Amino acid sequence: MTERKSPTAVLHEGPRALSEEQVREIEDSDLSAVLNVDIDDVIEYVHKDLKSLPDFTTLYRRYLKQRWDVYDLDFSQDKIDWNEKMTEAERESFMAIASGFHHGERQVEIELPVFMIGASEEEKIHIAAQIEDEARHTVFFDRFYREVVGLQGADIMEILDASFPWVSETFVGPFGLLAYQADEVRRNPYDERARVRYGTNYFLWIEGVLALSVMKVTLSYARWRGFLPAYYTGFTATCRDESRHVQGGMRYLQDAVRKDATMINEFHATLRTILALSGVASREIIYEPLGWTLGEVRMLFFQQLRRKLNDVGIDLAPDIEKMLAQVQPVLAGG
Amino acid sequence: MTEPKFYSKEWADAVRDALAAGPSASARAGKLQEYWDLFEFIKGVYPASWALGCRDLPAELRDSPAYLVVRWGGGQVAECQISGPDEPFDASYVLAMDYADWKALHEGYDAQRTVMYRKILLEHGNLLDFFKAIYFFVECLGVIGAVPAYYPEPAGR
Repeated sequence: MTERKSPTAVLHEGPRALSEEQVREIEDSDLSAVLNVDIDDVIEYVHKDLKSLPDFTTLYRRYLKQRWDVYDLDFSQDKIDWNEKMTEAERESFMAIASGFHHGERQVEIELPVFMIGASEEEKIHIAAQIEDEARHTVFFDRFYREVVGLQGADIMEILDASFPWVSETFVGPFGLLAYQADEVRRNPYDERARVRYGTNYFLWIEGVLALSVMKVTLSYARWRGFLPAYYTGFTATCRDESRHVQGGMRYLQDAVRKDATMINEFHATLRTILALSGVASREIIYEPLGWTLGEVRMLFFQQLRRKLNDVGIDLAPDIEKMLAQVQPVLAGG
Repeated sequence: MTEPKFYSKEWADAVRDALAAGPSASARAGKLQEYWDLFEFIKGVYPASWALGCRDLPAELRDSPAYLVVRWGGGQVAECQISGPDEPFDASYVLAMDYADWKALHEGYDAQRTVMYRKILLEHGNLLDFFKAIYFFVECLGVIGAVPAYYPEPAGR
């Protein structure tokens, strides 16, 4: 970690092109080299292919090259940083943000299998890989909370239960909706309209907006301070995995709308519900110890949403544009 | 005073009173005022009704499935009653949960994960419309679960 620019510097830089060398570094780094990859470059990389989305077979081949072993991470330095170097305020802010991810990874793992049933054969392969990714991310957070934070539990659910007090009440908005949408798809797996509504919440909102925003906040803090090297490595590798998930999800949504233009109505209806839920917070999250302000997080949030929509070429209905202007979405803990 | 039996008329009456009173001070503590402002706003305008089912009530309580029908109107609980398996009812949203999960909710399991982990499921009604008021629903589910009642051990335990 040689570069120590401020966590929020990228907000003011705007979109930028990655050099071939930067792309190679992101795509080809093994786990030990991921520590040197800049998280801002990885988030930029998520958007690199959105204008000409790769097919599912290409994404699967990338997965095979980029998969990593979560048990290769050594959290011993992270434990020292957490207990001896980070302040109480930093730890509290970190927990308030990361716990949403701890639970979010579990949710996107277990709610994805039903979506595979109605998918094309190539997409099924991509989704199978994504489920494995999400399972690995769940284990990553389980290890982090056990070995660094020091939570105690006999199994994965007990660790989830132990971190749940840090999860905001508003988490149930997008993630409860996803659970119920998964049940809707389970009952009618070939209902393309239900699948588009599910995909809008899962791939655009949860992965493309919420996840990338939260990743950026905690990872840029870790890079800025030079703390938590195993967290930075594992979660940056997670972000690289998410780039495939977001690109695959955007590919699915784009194809669905191209095949049937009325599908845009399902997309819009889902966004209306999500935005109706996103204008309120149940807890005050203090971002300053991690180098952010609430206003900067909101800016990041909107940037992520706008870039996905613009790159994929999906227009919003006027009333949704108005909702976006009116609400001030806050991170729903994940 | 004896606690009413779960899914009895007396329990439904107690639920109506509890919903009218709203979440307890302990439930409100630690959450931002803007969250409760939204709760009160939705409560004031909510035009819908819930039928909250239990799929497998113990035989000593009543036949299954049974539903607690809660109808909202004008910021009040306009109706709160039990409907049995052969009694028709009308509700905007029909949800159902197993008895063990109702009992766990009563014993302190949180309402947010009761939804998020799909212990209670939407069986009928527009999902996207239902979720526009999900924070209101979750808080009310917590209130309903906390109403004192007799929950017998399920058969076979």
